[in-house]
Amino acid sequence: MASIIEVKNLSYTYDGDAQIVKDAIHDISFSIEKGEIVGIIGHTGSGKSTLIQHLNGLLKPASGEVLLNGKNIWDDPKNIKDIRFKVGLVFQYPEYQLFEETVFADIAFGPKNMGLTGDELKNRVESICDTVGIKREYFDKSPFDLSGGEKRRVAIAGVMAMKPEVLILDEPIAGLDPKGRHEVSAMVKNYREKFGATVIIVSHNMEDMASLADKLIVLSGGKLVMYDTAYNVFSKGDMLSEIGLSVPVVTKVLKLINEKNNDIRTDIFTLKDAVEYLCALSAGGKNA
Amino acid sequence: MLKDITFGQYYESNSIVHRLDPRTKILVLILDIVFLFLTKSIYSLIVPAVQTVLILIISKVPAKMFLRNIKTILPIIIFTSIINLFYGNSGTVLLTVWYFTITTSGILRAVYMGSRIILLILLSSVLTYTTTPNDITDAIESLLSFMRIFRLQNAVHMLAMMMTIALRFIPTLVEETEKIMNAQKARGADLENGRLIERIKALIPILIPLLISSVRRAYELAEAMECRCYNGGVGRVRMKRLKYSWADLWAAFINIMFCGGIIAINTLI
Ligand SMILES: Nc1ncnc2c1ncn2[C@@H]1O[C@H](COP(=O)(O)OP(=O)(O)O)[C@@H](O)[C@H]1O
Ligand SMILES: [Mg+2]
Repeated sequence: MASIIEVKNLSYTYDGDAQIVKDAIHDISFSIEKGEIVGIIGHTGSGKSTLIQHLNGLLKPASGEVLLNGKNIWDDPKNIKDIRFKVGLVFQYPEYQLFEETVFADIAFGPKNMGLTGDELKNRVESICDTVGIKREYFDKSPFDLSGGEKRRVAIAGVMAMKPEVLILDEPIAGLDPKGRHEVSAMVKNYREKFGATVIIVSHNMEDMASLADKLIVLSGGKLVMYDTAYNVFSKGDMLSEIGLSVPVVTKVLKLINEKNNDIRTDIFTLKDAVEYLCALSAGGKNA
Repeated sequence: MLKDITFGQYYESNSIVHRLDPRTKILVLILDIVFLFLTKSIYSLIVPAVQTVLILIISKVPAKMFLRNIKTILPIIIFTSIINLFYGNSGTVLLTVWYFTITTSGILRAVYMGSRIILLILLSSVLTYTTTPNDITDAIESLLSFMRIFRLQNAVHMLAMMMTIALRFIPTLVEETEKIMNAQKARGADLENGRLIERIKALIPILIPLLISSVRRAYELAEAMECRCYNGGVGRVRMKRLKYSWADLWAAFINIMFCGGIIAINTLI
C-alpha cells in the first residue's frame, strides 16, 4: 500500500537558553495511508504540535526524515512552499490569524499565494465555502464581526481553500461550544468526503477521537508510545491513564456498571455503539 | 531570528552584582556611562575597559550572553568605526583613496569610537542580565519618588506600572509573533523572498493579528487588575521593599574611584 506520509526516526530539539537540553520529540516513526483519519493524542507538552509542524515543513528535523508520497520533503528546500500547499496545517486557535477586511479575502489568501487569480480564485473560494457550509452572505462581512465559532470556521476554510491532500488540524474544537464543535467536525468530514483527503487531528476530546479516527498516535514525553487502531488504543485504558489520558466517558460508564455486573462489555468506545449494545441487551433481557 | 532579542532578559545567578540594590545599579550605570563619554582618547578608555571587564567577571553571567548582544548591534559598531576612520586629521598618512585619507589618528579614532559603543552595550547588559525587569521598574519608581514635591507621585507610579507590564509582555509578544508567522507561512505566505515593497506588504498578515490580539489582551488585563481593586499608586504598599546595604556603598565607591581614574588620565595625557 502506498503511504502518503511517512515519518522516520524523527527527533527535534528547540534551541534556546534552556539549561536542560531535552528533545521536544524523540525518534518518532510511523506511516499514514492515503484517505485515513489519524488522531494524535497526548498530554500537554507531549510534542503533538511540534510533530505536526514537521509534516508541512515549518520545522526542519534535527534528525530523521519526513516523506510525502515517498519523497523527502526537504530534498529541495526551495520547494518547501509547495509542500505547505499539499499539506495544509490549521494551527490551534486559527481565528487569531484572520487579518483581511472581508471573509472572502481572508479565505482567498492561501489560494492567492498559490498563484490563483481572477475567476479561478473566486471559484475556488466559492466551492470550498459551499462544501463546508459558509454562506455567500458572509463573504463581504468583516471576519472580526463574526462569532467565535464562525471565525474558527472561516479560518479553517482558509486552509482548506488550498485543497491540501493532507489536512492537519491542531485541536480544532478546543474552546468551542457544542454547536461550534459539531459544525467544525462536520466541515472536516465534508472536506474529506469531497476531496478524498487524508486527515490528521490533534485533540483532547476522546469521544470525538473514538468516533472519527481510524488510527491513533499516542505521544508521551516526546515519544511515540502507541500507534494503533482506535479500538486497540482505547482497550489499553490503564496505560492511557498512566500517561495522563483517559478513555471516552461512555467506556468509563460501562466500566462502572461492569463493577456491579461482570457480564457488561467494556470495550465499547462510542456513544452510538454503546446505545446499540445496551438496547440489544435490554431487548434480550426482556425476551428471556 | 526573533530569539536573538535578549535585551531585558534576566540571567539567574547569585553574584554580588545580582544582590546589589537595583537603585545602586542604575545610578552606577548612569555614572559609568557619563564618564565613558568623558574619556578624551583611546588611552583614557583603558580605565572603563578594565572596569567593565571586572564587572562582567564578577557578575557570573556567561561571556556568550554578552557576545550575543554585541552581535545584534555589530552593524552599528562597524558603521560608526568606518565613518570615523576618515576623521583623523593628524598622524602619518597611510592611504589616500580619491578625496579620503586614512591616517594613524583616524585608525585610533575608529577603534576608540567602536570600543566605546561596545563598552556601552556591555555595561547596560550587565544591568539587564543581573536585575529582573520588575526590580528595575521598582528602582526607577523609587528613584523618582522625589517627584512627590511636584505632586506627581501617582504619575510616576503609573509610568513604572506601564513599564512593568510592557516588559512582562515582551516574551508573550515574541511567542505570539512566531505563532502567527507560522500560521501564515502554513497558508503559503512568503516572508523571506521578494523585493522590499513585497516584503513590507508581507508583514500585513502578521502585524494586523498581532495588533488585534495585543489590544484584546490589554483590555483583559485591565479588567483583571480592576477586579483586584487596582486603582493606581495611592495607598499601595510593597511586599518586597528595596534596601541599601554596605555592598552598595562599596560598589558606588569603587566605581567613583574608576571615574576618578578617567579624569586623571584625561588631564595627564
Ligand atoms: N517555540 C518553542 N520554543 C521552545 N520550546 C518549545 C517551543 N514550543 C514547544 N516547546 C517545548 O516542546 C515540548 C513540546 O511542546 P508541544 O509540541 O507544543 O506540545 P503539545 O502540543 O503536545 O502540547 C514542550 O516541552 C514545550 O515546552
Ligand atoms: Mg499543542
